[in-house]
Amino acid sequence: MPSLLLEIGCEELPAGACREVGAQLPALVQRELGFAPDRLFVGPRRLGLVFEEVPEQTPDEWLKGPPLALRDKAAAGFAKKHGVGADDLVEREGFLGLERKGRPLREVLPERLDAIVRGLSFSKSMRWDDSGIRFARPVRWTLAKLDAETVVGETSFGHRFRGGPLEIPHAREYAERLREAEVEPDAEERRRAIVAGLDAIGGWSDPAGVLEEVVYLVESVAVLEGSFDERFLQLPERVVTTAMQSHQRYFPLGGNRFAFVANGGEPDVVRAGNENVLEGRLDDASFTFERDVKLGIDALAERLGAITYFKGAGSFADKSERLRRLVGELGGGEATLEAARLAKADQASELVREFTDLEGYIGGEYARLAGYPEAVSAAIEEQYLPDSSGGPLPQTEAGKVLAAADKLDALTTAFSVGQKPSGSRDPFGLRRAAIGLDRLAVEGGLVIPRSLLPDEVREFVEERLEGLLDVPVEYVRAARASAAPDLGAVAGVAKALHEARESAEFDGTYTAYERAHRLAGKAAEEAAADLDPALLKEDAERALAEGLAQVEVDGDVPAALASAATLAPLLERFFDEVLVLDEDPAVKANRLRLLLDVRDTLGRLGDFSQIPR
Amino acid sequence: MAAPTFQDTIRALEGYWADYGCVLMQPYHTELAAGTMNPATFLRSLGPSEWKTAYVEPVIRPLDGRYGENPYRFQHYFQYQVVIKPAPADVLDLYFGSLEAIGIDLRRHDVRLVEDDWEQPTLGAWGLGWEVWCDGMEITQWTYFQQLGGFDVELVPAEITYGLERLCMFLQRKKSAFDLEWAPGVSWGDVYRENERQWSAYNFEVAPVDVLTRRFGEHEDECRALLERRLPLPAYDQVLKASHTFNLLDARGAISATERAAYIGRVRNLAREVAQVYLELETDALAPA
Repeated sequence: MPSLLLEIGCEELPAGACREVGAQLPALVQRELGFAPDRLFVGPRRLGLVFEEVPEQTPDEWLKGPPLALRDKAAAGFAKKHGVGADDLVEREGFLGLERKGRPLREVLPERLDAIVRGLSFSKSMRWDDSGIRFARPVRWTLAKLDAETVVGETSFGHRFRGGPLEIPHAREYAERLREAEVEPDAEERRRAIVAGLDAIGGWSDPAGVLEEVVYLVESVAVLEGSFDERFLQLPERVVTTAMQSHQRYFPLGGNRFAFVANGGEPDVVRAGNENVLEGRLDDASFTFERDVKLGIDALAERLGAITYFKGAGSFADKSERLRRLVGELGGGEATLEAARLAKADQASELVREFTDLEGYIGGEYARLAGYPEAVSAAIEEQYLPDSSGGPLPQTEAGKVLAAADKLDALTTAFSVGQKPSGSRDPFGLRRAAIGLDRLAVEGGLVIPRSLLPDEVREFVEERLEGLLDVPVEYVRAARASAAPDLGAVAGVAKALHEARESAEFDGTYTAYERAHRLAGKAAEEAAADLDPALLKEDAERALAEGLAQVEVDGDVPAALASAATLAPLLERFFDEVLVLDEDPAVKANRLRLLLDVRDTLGRLGDFSQIPR
Repeated sequence: MAAPTFQDTIRALEGYWADYGCVLMQPYHTELAAGTMNPATFLRSLGPSEWKTAYVEPVIRPLDGRYGENPYRFQHYFQYQVVIKPAPADVLDLYFGSLEAIGIDLRRHDVRLVEDDWEQPTLGAWGLGWEVWCDGMEITQWTYFQQLGGFDVELVPAEITYGLERLCMFLQRKKSAFDLEWAPGVSWGDVYRENERQWSAYNFEVAPVDVLTRRFGEHEDECRALLERRLPLPAYDQVLKASHTFNLLDARGAISATERAAYIGRVRNLAREVAQVYLELETDALAPA
């Protein structure tokens, strides 16, 4: 059986488009050709598919049409769609349809390759001529070869500037010939070469994650090293690395050195050019930084009234006001209040307008340069933490409070203008904010009263606890219904209930809750509004009422469980000796009330009905 | 070989694109924030007619002025603009040919196309393309227009916008645009540094906010009146003037965040209405009598 090569030659595709193609091509090719490629090559200028062995004939196909019963209505339309007459349709298993005989692969390849090109879809696509094709960038050539025979197109092409048209003598020699022409078609191979080159230099980092893009910015890998004037080391470090990474896609090597990946050229010439460019970028960043510093963080803060936070949510000045109030409610002190006032000042800075990634960090730097205490500056710097799952929390107390206030405000404000995340849509990063808030409470030990969160926000934030805590979700759900006053306490209740789940105390409390709930829960509307001690006639019910009065469930969970469990035997005796549904409606209502009080008191520990037994 | 001066580079580009068959245009007569806004690009890119042009465009961006102190930011600088409609299949090679024509040896340097999705909300315009890097320096913005004035383009044009200062900084190995050699013995700074200082003062401190605010509305009204008379070309000038007036007000800090979106929307609406009338006239002209 012959080997097959398909190549789609493009103008330089963005990295994101390359990744989209990589994900779609195998299934698309399988659908169009009936078999999958053995090798998939994805790069900025070409998509290559190599099949080691393919059948020379495509398989027979059965195109299923309308059911026999609809022959009169639908047969003609179906036939027309496939370019045949209605008489050509045949019956099979109750349906009309069309038998398509397999055809020689060489005959169908042109149309199938075209269908593959048209079948790829991109998040951003364009047209460039009247072919009707949409693609991420223009497609400029296609090539299909069965062994040594060229079926579609003429040649491939080598490196954009070092090679012109390139003969591929045989489908199996595709990658080898390209490599001879200084093109590495395999993305994995390019990544390996880049990492190997960076490792050989040593000490590299990639804080902004440009490696994944650089893999698709070159067809030929040359890892080079450069340096810049040491005077730029006086700039805040992240300003330097951000200028390097976001504009230039360089890899910081520490100090005044950097590495980068070129697609060609003479190394010394290319290095000198890149050094020149980076120094220009840094010089520009210095000017911008110095202008911000000269203005000062206080003056920047005064400009926040003119900058929209987001649509419907007022300005950043409004946001700062809200932050100060929230920080106060979260128990923040003077330093935190001051940090809240200045927290968003850097939104008015030129540096953040240019490099959004520097928000927070550069605000902290500007506060330090303006002589604010370290507690204030550090809190400003840490306000966006944690900014990733597993990312670090703020280290300072003021930082934790400010970070919580920032997230709380983001959630509350977005929810209030109807911007609740839905499905995969979460433009304001509210899921991350909610998880951050939970982590500040659970891991950071910050007391975040649940009463500060509007109901809908509280639901959203506490739902995120379910994935965060290492406890089965039922316990988290039970704890969410508890009277725990703050987010950390909810987590604490969930963990404590889970830890105690095998204990006699848990069992006693669970049983008492369950029995009281099962009997009285459905009859709540018949219960008295308040318990009337005068109506308690039987010893058993008086004992239960007295026991209930002594139960203390609002302390730490093990002690609360121990206290609550004392009700179990009292309740058992109650059910043995007392008929709840007494003939006297007043007595009956009073007994129902007693049971509901038992349930609700125990319920302050959590909704035990969430926990399966 | 001595590096080409600023004016040599312009001459080389003019020669190359004239030889290719472009109509060499001259800068437009009112302030533009980009060569794209010149009617030779914006309007000519609409409709079914073929068109090839190349020209120098002085770009006026009041907010970007730095009083001549920052050698990388100016409120007035230069683009070299090329539009080829429809874009031929070898249009990238044509462009690379122009780099060779101005003295860039493509084998010695690292020339790369880096994703850049272009969008100009005030013109209701977008396209896909690249920044072209030469040894890390962004020397060109390259765009296949997809929409202008809210209308899909009929023939897809390639727009090639060379940043002349950056291109010449690369060619002359200069770290500051002020140090570029404009003509033998005369630097870019000699020609324009004082200009930057004075215009920055005007843009940021002096430009009369009340007058400009009034003018914005007048340009808007005049644009609409001209469109009623079916005169989209003069109407388009009023769009440009309104857009520049907005930029000046912005530099003066006279536009609040909430107003900004509204202003941009007003300019975009004008641009769309002009594009519509322009297209209608163009269609009428092409229709068989």
